[in-house]
Amino acid sequence: MNIWKISLKNFRYKPLYTFLGTLILSVSIALLVGIQQLDKSFRQQLDNSLGDIDMVVGAKGSPLQLVLASVLHIDNPTGNIIYEEAKNILRNPMVEKGVPISYGDNYMGYRIVGTTQEFPALYNATLKEGKFTEEPMEVAIGATVAEATGLKIGDTFQSSHGLAETGGHAHNDLLKVVGIYHPTHKVMDRLIITGLQTVWDVHHHESEPSYSKEAEVVEKENHHHKEGEHHHDEEGHEQETEHEHHEERDKEITSMLISFRNPMALLTIPRSINENTNMQAALPKFELERLYQFTGVGVKTITWIAYAILIISCITIFISLYRMVRDRAFDLALMRSYGANTFQLIKMVAYEGFMIAIIAFGIGVLLSQIGIYFIFGMITDQYKQKMPFELGYQELLQTVFLVVLMVLFAIAFAIYPIIKMNISKILSHEK
Amino acid sequence: MIQTNNLKFKYDNDNTIFEFPDITLSKNQNLLVLGKSGIGKTTLLHLLAGLLSPSGGSIEIDNVAIQKLSNKQLDRFRGQNIGLVFQNNHAVQSLSVMENLEARLFFAKKAISKTVINDFLEHLDIAECKNKKVRELSEGQLQRLGIAMSIVHHPQIVLADEPTSSLDDTNCKKVMRLLIEQADTNNANLIVITHDQRIKPLFNNTLEL
Repeated sequence: MNIWKISLKNFRYKPLYTFLGTLILSVSIALLVGIQQLDKSFRQQLDNSLGDIDMVVGAKGSPLQLVLASVLHIDNPTGNIIYEEAKNILRNPMVEKGVPISYGDNYMGYRIVGTTQEFPALYNATLKEGKFTEEPMEVAIGATVAEATGLKIGDTFQSSHGLAETGGHAHNDLLKVVGIYHPTHKVMDRLIITGLQTVWDVHHHESEPSYSKEAEVVEKENHHHKEGEHHHDEEGHEQETEHEHHEERDKEITSMLISFRNPMALLTIPRSINENTNMQAALPKFELERLYQFTGVGVKTITWIAYAILIISCITIFISLYRMVRDRAFDLALMRSYGANTFQLIKMVAYEGFMIAIIAFGIGVLLSQIGIYFIFGMITDQYKQKMPFELGYQELLQTVFLVVLMVLFAIAFAIYPIIKMNISKILSHEK
Repeated sequence: MIQTNNLKFKYDNDNTIFEFPDITLSKNQNLLVLGKSGIGKTTLLHLLAGLLSPSGGSIEIDNVAIQKLSNKQLDRFRGQNIGLVFQNNHAVQSLSVMENLEARLFFAKKAISKTVINDFLEHLDIAECKNKKVRELSEGQLQRLGIAMSIVHHPQIVLADEPTSSLDDTNCKKVMRLLIEQADTNNANLIVITHDQRIKPLFNNTLEL
């Protein structure tokens, strides 16, 4: 027999006393843990998605839109830029590398990104099977795409025009899956990667709809052949014939993702691009910070609501402990007559308070995880993005600290009748 | 052994001063304190139990002047040397019979042995309900549990406050016999305060307040 055991028996004797306090505390813990985890996952997801990208160069327009479209792949692009012009940026010695991306189409809502072999490297993505696209009309797919569409190596599919899943029309060209990537938990997972040439090809004859079907096929074959060589050249030696060079001049891309060698570049290059070219440069980190300022308001609001509920739960726990102390006054006085001292009775009440806190914590964390599971499910459906499902224990620790503090307050007030207890009076008024 | 001298008590919010006649009890001697309600019987009992501190005079139990003890010492002294029997409330509601006796020994800082407790309950004829909660016991079982709670830790004094006032004649006698017998076997002084004249013949030593 010890104080813990007696507390436990008290707790189990009339669990309804503490039920309400436990319930309200669980809700506030669920909200606190949930919103922190959500906020953290959200930020982590976005920050993760940046990979090594320090700057994005695209058509003029909203810089946030440019970042959302080209880095997070959720918004529409601002427009197109001339590939040759964008390449000029790479001449600056402070630029480490620039990865061009070119949008156009989607397959079942997953965006098809025309780019180079350097793109997966931005996200440290490695191939699970197959290879990177070498020929036009070949694609490599991210892990989420593979899982959701069921596409395998060797499968072919038709892309639909535009970036939205519905609407637009299907292209006749068949794209062939040649590679599947490991999960990275970054945007890479939900992208279909192909060479720039594929996007150019698909849209090249889109713009010449007057071709007869036969002519188109012939043209396409020729074109493929030629572009295939060209593609090879581009990857290899950067040697171009006059003719190809001319064609290259007209080639457009959506944007160029740039990594810097030197952080000093952040200060000079974006400005010079914005002032001296008809392209715009946006800094993803900076734009995302701006985005957080908007989402931060919601997070803060929910956090404050959670704090308010926490205080209410603290009051409820106080009331239930206090009522318990008052209602069991005779039992407590009886224990004093058995030789229990004030401190032992205080411990008894404190243990009950902590039992409430521990149970509420368990329920609260469980509730938050269930909630987040559903929210992440929704995000996965809507944005085709899997979220990392992990609970940061630093956030948990902070919540534990807050809850312990609140429960200590509740206990401190509830034990007042014990400290002021008049044993004789209670025992002589027995009924 | 109990010795009181010029014992006085005054409640904070009341001007009445209770003055009690001196009590001297040698080992194994019992005492019946009779008096009408409001005359201070329970006050005297609580003074002897160390639940109230006297405003004057002294109480010595086994040569310990209990009015001089600190609160904590008093709690400890009470736990080890005093056993209290109440009229209605006999034990902690949330605990079973067995757990109550264990708790009693725990607070008295005495060794807890389930076998010893079991034998003791057997002797008091309530062993069969040792796992029952207090509210599940019959009136007779409750009385016996009350006695068990006052004796289990081998106190120097057993103090009983109106132990029989809610009992019929038969049970009244049974309970008193058991109480006296138990106090006797444990070499404890038994002090009973009551207005119940039925138990007067059971005591040689009485005090009228």
